[in-house]
Amino acid sequence: MQSKGVEILLVEDNANDAELTLRALKQRNLANQVHVCRDGAEAMDFFSAGASPVPKVVLLDLKLPKVDGLEVLRRLKGDVRTKAIPVVVLTSSREEPDIERAYELGANSYIVKPVDFEAFARAVSDVGLYWLLLNHPPQ
Amino acid sequence: MNWSIERKLPLFVTILLVAVAIAQLTIGYGKVRQASRTLVDKRLPLATHVLADLFQIPTQRARLTALAKDPAIAAFLRTRDPADRARALAALQRITVDTSSNASLELRDFGGKLLLRTGKFTVADSVYVSPRSDSATYGPFMRQDTTLFIAVTMAVGAGPAERGGGIVQQVARVQMNARTPKALTGLAGGDIVLLVGNAAGDPWTDFGTIVPAPPKSVLTSATPVRYEQGGEMKRAAAAAVPGTPWMVVAQMPSRLIAVPARDYLRSMAPIAVLIVIAGALLAWWGSRRLTKPLVHITGAAEAITLGDLGQRVSVQRDDELGRLARSFNLMAEQVSRSQHDLEAQVAQRTQALEGTNAELESFSYSVSHDLRAPLRAIHGFARILLEDHQAKLDPEAQRLLGVIDQNTRRMGQLIDDLLAFSRLSRKELASARVDMTEMANVVADELRRAEPERNGQLEVKIGTLLPAQGDRAVLRQVFSNLLQNAMKFTRAQPNARIEVGSRPDGKETVYFVKDNGAGFDPRYTDKLFGVFQRLHSNEEFEGTGVGLAIVKRIVQRHGGRVWAEGKVNEGATFYFTLPGGN
Repeated sequence: MQSKGVEILLVEDNANDAELTLRALKQRNLANQVHVCRDGAEAMDFFSAGASPVPKVVLLDLKLPKVDGLEVLRRLKGDVRTKAIPVVVLTSSREEPDIERAYELGANSYIVKPVDFEAFARAVSDVGLYWLLLNHPPQ
Repeated sequence: MNWSIERKLPLFVTILLVAVAIAQLTIGYGKVRQASRTLVDKRLPLATHVLADLFQIPTQRARLTALAKDPAIAAFLRTRDPADRARALAALQRITVDTSSNASLELRDFGGKLLLRTGKFTVADSVYVSPRSDSATYGPFMRQDTTLFIAVTMAVGAGPAERGGGIVQQVARVQMNARTPKALTGLAGGDIVLLVGNAAGDPWTDFGTIVPAPPKSVLTSATPVRYEQGGEMKRAAAAAVPGTPWMVVAQMPSRLIAVPARDYLRSMAPIAVLIVIAGALLAWWGSRRLTKPLVHITGAAEAITLGDLGQRVSVQRDDELGRLARSFNLMAEQVSRSQHDLEAQVAQRTQALEGTNAELESFSYSVSHDLRAPLRAIHGFARILLEDHQAKLDPEAQRLLGVIDQNTRRMGQLIDDLLAFSRLSRKELASARVDMTEMANVVADELRRAEPERNGQLEVKIGTLLPAQGDRAVLRQVFSNLLQNAMKFTRAQPNARIEVGSRPDGKETVYFVKDNGAGFDPRYTDKLFGVFQRLHSNEEFEGTGVGLAIVKRIVQRHGGRVWAEGKVNEGATFYFTLPGGN
């Protein structure tokens, strides 16, 4: 079931969170084609490289250095080449304005990261399974 | 009708003027009338006396006296000699020819027997008057058709006792013509009519014609008398003519007495009307002048009340109204300035508050995001340590990692609750009618389903609750927190019983959630609703101590109150009030 190229793009500035996320994905054997971007600018570069393969899902943190998550989301969904890519907001913020804004900009899902590790791992792996295995993106 | 001062004042002044004018005219009229009557009462007797005096020196008397002294007549009466008779007759005839008024002239003896006569008088043929000793005496007025006569008699000789004397008697026609009454009226003054006649009654004359005799009351009264004659009220005074059986009466119509008074009214009334009109106009003008600034000030005050703080009045006067206007402008200025200051202050405060609010929001955002990330790392890596390296850890190390695990979870819960509490303060509340019965039932069912193992040991009784007015979502939180608490604190109770009810209290409704659980020490009631305040240890009953604080915040934001009653091991009752939903 493993395919070539990047299947998950993880945009996460916090190294610990990134490590925990990768661990959770690894437990479900979903971590092989994960690419991690450390900030919003890096994420935008990833897409502007052009030749890069299209990921099956983007896991996007909101609070990011340089270009923040909502801006990244706005640009992805505003671009015809990338707007079909599912974007799952994965953030610590459960503030209502963030949630509303994310959905307005076209987020496909909004997950609040639980503090509890088990709950966090479950959430991440569920998201990975759903978007990689269950969801059927346009070819 | 609008009874403004502007109308009331002139009306009042006009009424006052009219009253004064009426009083003035009435009193004046009475006084003038009184004065003219007094004057008439003086003039009437005066006129009668003048006339009476005139009658005392009539020419007849003098003429008769002269006749009595005529030697031929005296001789005839003495001697009764036929020779003397011719001469006596000649003397008589001479006098008769002399006077046109003479009707007849007679000589009689003292017994009244006719001796000699010239002319003819047909009324009676006798002595009409008993002569007194030596002066001529008048008899009463006598009437024949439209002619009046009077008799004058005088004794000649020593007297009836003596032989050879007699009486000279003249019957004279009273000269009457139309001018005489006028002349007499002129004599007596303006409007007085003079009458003469017999004291005993008819005939009476005004010297123009024969007139009816005045009534007895006039003839017998010493003072002027009022009476009616010929359908007209008259006032008259009478006086006797001395030495005769006659009386003189001066009379005038009563209406003439009122003439001066009426003249007074006629001349004064238009003046009074003019004064009233002038006064009313003056009062109206003055009142307008007085009330105009007041109207301005009132209008300005009303405008200011309605929010137009720029209103000022311009009244250029130095009196009290001018001062009032200036004070008013000053006051309006101050109100306007303090209003302006207040608005500026409010704007400033609002800005400051908005700033604080924004800071608070960014603070809680930071707490939400930045505090949870490290916590998640601590928890996550502690778990990884336990999972991946369990074999290398002795039991004590594993226990210590368990403590870290527990506390990070708890801190995560605390952060979540704190954020929920903070969010609640900033959230804008909706206002709708809320069916509290349904809401309580839904919440209770959810909570019961979460603890299916207590099915036989827990009774939740929810009565019919009065509806409330408020934000459905946050009110649900109130029931959720209170019922959660009730279930938590009755967990040790084999016959747990939870009751939810309500009752109206004025405009509010009081709701309560009652349980028979662990209860609390009433001494610490005031700590129940504080943030992070707990009366039980975490080992006894889990929780962060935010639930009741959230309840209190929600209820307070709806304008209600919360309080609680309870005793240790005897259960607790939590009350909250909300505005009525009707």
